[in-house]
Amino acid sequence: MSTLATASRYRLWVFTAALLLCSASIKPVQDRVTACLARNPSIDPDLLYFASPGAVRSLSLGYQSLLADLYWIRAVQYYGRREEAARRQVRYRNLAALLDITTTLDPRMMDVYRAGSSFLAEPEPIGAGQPEESLKLLDKGIGLYPDEWRLRFDKGFVYFWALKDFKKAGQVWLEASRIRSAPPWMEGLAAMALSRGGAVETARALWERQYQNSASREVKENAKNHLLSMQVDEMLWTIEFLAGKYAERHGGYPANLDDLVRSGYLKAVPVDPSGVAYDYDPRSGRAVLSPETRVRYLEVPYDYREAFLQKLASLFPK
Amino acid sequence: MGHLGSDVPMRILAIARNTFRENIRDKILYNLILFALIMILSSIALGQLTLGLESKMIIDLGLTSVSVFGTLIAIFIGISLVYKEMEKRTVYALLAKPVHRWEFIVGKYLGLLFTLLVNVVIMAIGIALTLLYQGGTETATFARLLPAIYLIYLSLALTTALALVFSTFSTPALSALFTLFLWIIGHFNADLLQFANLTKSATVGWVAKSLYYALPNFSNFTTLDSRNIIQSAAHAQAIDAGAILWITAYGLLYCCGLVTVAIAVFSRRDFK
Repeated sequence: MSTLATASRYRLWVFTAALLLCSASIKPVQDRVTACLARNPSIDPDLLYFASPGAVRSLSLGYQSLLADLYWIRAVQYYGRREEAARRQVRYRNLAALLDITTTLDPRMMDVYRAGSSFLAEPEPIGAGQPEESLKLLDKGIGLYPDEWRLRFDKGFVYFWALKDFKKAGQVWLEASRIRSAPPWMEGLAAMALSRGGAVETARALWERQYQNSASREVKENAKNHLLSMQVDEMLWTIEFLAGKYAERHGGYPANLDDLVRSGYLKAVPVDPSGVAYDYDPRSGRAVLSPETRVRYLEVPYDYREAFLQKLASLFPK
Repeated sequence: MGHLGSDVPMRILAIARNTFRENIRDKILYNLILFALIMILSSIALGQLTLGLESKMIIDLGLTSVSVFGTLIAIFIGISLVYKEMEKRTVYALLAKPVHRWEFIVGKYLGLLFTLLVNVVIMAIGIALTLLYQGGTETATFARLLPAIYLIYLSLALTTALALVFSTFSTPALSALFTLFLWIIGHFNADLLQFANLTKSATVGWVAKSLYYALPNFSNFTTLDSRNIIQSAAHAQAIDAGAILWITAYGLLYCCGLVTVAIAVFSRRDFK
């Protein structure tokens, strides 16, 4: 009896030791696996097993509402994982198809039309650079919701920002302004876009509207980055302009931005929207964003530097 | 025999009560409820990935869980309802008592329906609590969940009736397969009708149309006014009450028909 009890206790110790050993080994082994995989990152085959929205709908067995959510999550992940996207042959080849399937499974997902069209229309590398697909998605939504002004607002945005077709953008916004629920500023926006040369002001107004009205965090963040980038551009051009004015008076560019403050050209040393000082080059009189900046700079596609400098010159006392 | 006739409801209720107790003791049932509740709660986590569609995700995942797990319970318990009694030979003891065979079948069916009702109610409370925890849901949204939950329950009643029929003459494995296949086919009934309208052969068209009416039409319980019922609940859209009445009539008729078949098969079985 005592031998049996000893054997049983011995077995218990062996099993406990084995369990502890296995548990302790899991972490180092998993870390090694992760390290091996990181050395040879797999190339995403970027396959869409079910490309037909109708087929996916038929196979959903009545659960298309949840399936639509899952396809939407997949589309957001497909778009949001930028490192993975950069490894694909075509960055966002299946994005439009994923959004099409999502909106076929559940055509009432307004946020999918709005945020999805933004993902598609944004130029690469931020977005898919597929404004035509973005318009198709929005038209699908407009067909279902003809009285929804926000979809037409987004459609005009795609024409304005991605396709640079200001006239068409103005026409779409004018259509939107005639919808009963449209806000009063829609008509002004249409007028600005339809007038020649109003591109920058319209762009700024658009990003502000998107920032204020969008329910999507990603769309809001993108709008904020565009607004901040315009702010940065204008500040850099202002520094360049003032450094030129300083050089005209003192025979050379200021040694640093403090000189511009001391000479009365600026009230304080300018900082970027994240609070980091700009890097200034005294040889060229130009400033750039510091590498430490937390501003996510997006290049403004409208070249209005000359127009902006002329405006500054007209405001600057002779 | 007169005595046998007067206590029919009591005997059916006694069988139903025992079936319910037996189901509640079944550990699989608890696991499924727990799993369904975990799925509903996980919708909160998944909702974070949907960019502003958290409530919709909770409703979609919650109602789908109610439907999928309810169907699993209906199939896996329904198929063993009668078979288990025969396998354990407890049916002999039961039928030796003054109980009609049809009372046994109806009692078993009602017992499982009550089990499913309890499950559906628990899961519905789970969804409502999840929505309350998430916040920002209007009171009207909770009311909109009810028609969807009701139609899911009706479809579960139909699935149970199917499983019960197979349970009277087949093994659990085969019964599960048959029920599952019919459940899947039942979602494609509309395609059968479309095929019947498209085909040039009158015979094929007639066969397809007959199958359309004969097979259980599960899409009746998922689609209303060409809108998915779960989607309508998730988007808090009104549902046609008249249509729900007709769907209820269809569900009751089909279930009555299937229970009658189960009774007919079970009555002809030889237990000697």
